[in-house]
Amino acid sequence: MIRNYFKIAWRNLWKNKGYSFINIFGLAIGITCASLILLWVEDEVNFDQAIPDKELVFAVPTNQKYDGEWRTFFQATPGPLAAVLKAEIPEITKSARKRDIGYLFNVGEKSVNSAGSFADKDLIDIFGLNFIAGNPKDAFKEKKSVIITQKIASIFFDKSDDAIGKNIQFDKKETFVITAVVKDFPENTSFTFDWLAPFENFTDGKEWTQGYGANFTDTFVKLAAGSDVEKVNEKVKAILPAKTGDAETEAILFSANDWHLRSKFENGKIDGGRIEYVRLFSFIALIILIIACINFMNLSTARSEKRANEVGMRKALGSGRKQLIFQFLTEAVLTAFISGIVSLLLLIALIPQFNLLIDKNLSLAITAPIHFLPIVIITLFCGIISGLYPAFYLSSFKPIEVLKGSRRQSGSASFTRKTLVVIQFSISIIFIISTLLVYQQVQHIKNRNLGMVKENLIEMPAANGDIIKNFKSIEQELTSSGLVESVALMNSQILSGGNNTSGIDWQGKTTDADILISIRTVTPQFFNTAGMVLKEGKGFTSSEAVDSTKVLISESFAKLMATDNVVGNTIDYNGQLLTINGVVKDFLYGDMYGTSDPVMFYHQAEEADYMYIKPAVGVEINKTLAAIESVLKTQNPGFPFEYRFVDEAFNERFKSEQLVENLSQIFAVLAIIISCLGLFGLSAFTAEQRRKEIGVRKVLGSSVLGIVKLLSKDFLVLVLLSILISVPISWYVMQNWLQGFAYRIDIKLWVFAIAGFSAVLIALITVSFQAIKAAIANPVKSLRTE
Amino acid sequence: MITITDLEKYYATEEVRTIALNKLSFKVNEGEFVAIMGPSGCGKSTLLNILGLLDDPDGGSFVFNGIEVAGFNERKRADLRKHNIGFVFQSFNLIDELTVLENVELPLIYTGVKPAERKARVDAVLEKMQIMHRRKHFPQQLSGGQQQRVAVARAVVNNPKLILADEPTGNLDSSNGNEVMDLLTELNEAGTTIIMVTHSEHDAKYSHRIIRMLDGQKVTENVLSEYVSSK
Repeated sequence: MIRNYFKIAWRNLWKNKGYSFINIFGLAIGITCASLILLWVEDEVNFDQAIPDKELVFAVPTNQKYDGEWRTFFQATPGPLAAVLKAEIPEITKSARKRDIGYLFNVGEKSVNSAGSFADKDLIDIFGLNFIAGNPKDAFKEKKSVIITQKIASIFFDKSDDAIGKNIQFDKKETFVITAVVKDFPENTSFTFDWLAPFENFTDGKEWTQGYGANFTDTFVKLAAGSDVEKVNEKVKAILPAKTGDAETEAILFSANDWHLRSKFENGKIDGGRIEYVRLFSFIALIILIIACINFMNLSTARSEKRANEVGMRKALGSGRKQLIFQFLTEAVLTAFISGIVSLLLLIALIPQFNLLIDKNLSLAITAPIHFLPIVIITLFCGIISGLYPAFYLSSFKPIEVLKGSRRQSGSASFTRKTLVVIQFSISIIFIISTLLVYQQVQHIKNRNLGMVKENLIEMPAANGDIIKNFKSIEQELTSSGLVESVALMNSQILSGGNNTSGIDWQGKTTDADILISIRTVTPQFFNTAGMVLKEGKGFTSSEAVDSTKVLISESFAKLMATDNVVGNTIDYNGQLLTINGVVKDFLYGDMYGTSDPVMFYHQAEEADYMYIKPAVGVEINKTLAAIESVLKTQNPGFPFEYRFVDEAFNERFKSEQLVENLSQIFAVLAIIISCLGLFGLSAFTAEQRRKEIGVRKVLGSSVLGIVKLLSKDFLVLVLLSILISVPISWYVMQNWLQGFAYRIDIKLWVFAIAGFSAVLIALITVSFQAIKAAIANPVKSLRTE
Repeated sequence: MITITDLEKYYATEEVRTIALNKLSFKVNEGEFVAIMGPSGCGKSTLLNILGLLDDPDGGSFVFNGIEVAGFNERKRADLRKHNIGFVFQSFNLIDELTVLENVELPLIYTGVKPAERKARVDAVLEKMQIMHRRKHFPQQLSGGQQQRVAVARAVVNNPKLILADEPTGNLDSSNGNEVMDLLTELNEAGTTIIMVTHSEHDAKYSHRIIRMLDGQKVTENVLSEYVSSK
């Protein structure tokens, strides 16, 4: 019996190649799309899977209260916290500090830049480092020990074992002994490092790291199995206020399960994060699948006339309804499985492109059940979903009616079909509108006035080597070359947040106002280099000594002071009196969607971490870069020439938004393609069904255009209806999405107009192809074959 | 074999109720060949559908092989149908996607006959109908006469007690038509009861008895030839 079903299903597919193509190809696109998204979702939800007992591992950020609002900070716990947590909270079995830092590594002649961390020993167990060479117990025995990753080891040594006991130089100054080599972290890991060395190397000689006054390090803890996380969290929260007497700074537990997907904090509590995108895209994958299934339903029921006789005869011969339902489901599942195979091929072809698009390294392991099963399940799901309605509909035919040919297309089926077309097009139009708005929003932010000029601005690390020491000569040589306009140093990256303080007082400041001010140390040419505008007063002089009690402040800082003329006023920074020398216009850093905290600038080169260079106007950038490289070769010998452009760094910040933009474009295009495939099939069917009518009309004198209009009209009405449905839905959804951005676009009416117009146009082209074909056919032919 | 008494069937639309069968009564004995004639719309086909258990009467009684079947549900009707009744239609109603062999095999599949026996029975009936050489062809590749022979083969492959033929020669030319009528006569002589609806006086002459209908009622009944019940 099953064989009979497959046979007839196969022959039906073969006989109606056009419709079969639409069904199979449409479903294949849907399945491919869903599979790609699931691969991405798998990667996202499996983040930090390498950490053993992940549910017991926590990071410890701090919540700090400013202006009545909790703000959450990472790498911002005081030095003693880790040890205190382990000593005073019995459930905490391990605790470790970790401070990230970059160094130039040297072994013999070879050198490489590395990003690693100084950390406490417990971190090895908390992160579950995988030792390839060396002994975990002895790894941190000596202060000058270092654990390196396989990646770093392979640069300097042939085999990992060769590395053990060898010396490695940090920034050509300090020498460490390699005690162990660990496996590289998987790509989907939140906290990674190239090397790990004992924490004392960072704290020794730094008195300020010993007390509760400075929040400078990450803290990680591991709990005992079976601990009540809520209770432990309460204890953790109580520790800092107890030690410092300040109730406005508390440490909290942040589960490793949430590091990647739920890392957005709002008023001290987790408020979503990437999980929202994971949910959104999973939902969209489902929608795309359903759109593809709708094609199958529509074409199957539309063509039911052709199958009606078969149904009638089978019933007359003794088939029950159940058997018929099963038969049609078999057909749908067979079609879906062919689509599944097609989509496997598509997947193999598309995964590399998809990886480029989403900036990941996903791969399909087709023999692994974790990948194979979902594809089979999706395929089965498609087959059953798309076959169910046709199966019930077709099997409901009454044998006497169909066998006598008295059955007409049922009104309910045609209504269902129209409804499904409206659903498809509504979804497609929603996708088009959303894509347009996401694109606008991303562009809007990218074109935002940052209060500085990011284009062509060169940024390079300056903390290591001799850049700070030789800065005056570097600056001199570069500017005199004529290839560079100006050079400057700053203590943090221009786009990032950095040091901040609430310890600044000024006249008129209300005492209870706890306002966070960012502190930046710069050299005099910084404002010119970064294209920032001095609004009032003067900049810094060329002498640090002369400027030692002067500061520049940002416009938003000046506004806090509630006096019109702030230049010349003094402010009190932890007891040190400073004179405001000038006011610069606000610039954007940190959160690119929000507003940045006020800033106070010092003149100081010593603490610089980054150097900024503004190339001279009209000079080819490659020449400038070559000049910088040759100057640094002599002024900062032994250190590789590394730089990046600030506008590139800026664009990097919009990865999630870019992802949404890219994916929503793909979804919109796919949804439209699949919907149009369906529309194409349906219009072909309608044209076929109305052949005789078209023939008669033509014989009676109708023009080709008249026929095209006749055939297209019904479909256009459906598309127009879809526009009416999709506009309010997409307005609501996108308005909600935009609420998440402080700096956002207003939704303009023309976006809807464009989306609606394109949908109508695309549908019209699709339908008119069939309509024209039918209209120009010779009417004699259609009338004769009747 | 068949006894219908005061059989009624209505077709109702929103405005009108049409009476298709109006208290119709007659009997058909096992082994008989009965022709039903009458103008279009007199209720012949409705009657045939009810006799074929494809449709349910609205009133009256229908006793098939001693069982009252009026009021049977769809599943019970289907079960009775597939074991006892074969159909031959004017438009053949072969399934286009199945070959001759597969079309004829279908009723055996639905009655759960084992594959080996299926093959033997299908071969035998194809041989008998002289279409064995066409068994791998699809219906569209056959002439009308050949298609109707396949349809007859499909109707008899299950050895039904009753064959219902609805204008079996309506789509055929006279020589093909005669061939089909000869086939039906042969089957009848071998013991199968046949009820045939027809417009053709010529075809009706093959039967033992002609029932003429008008407006859902029997008007006359003429016995053409002696029929001797086997029982």
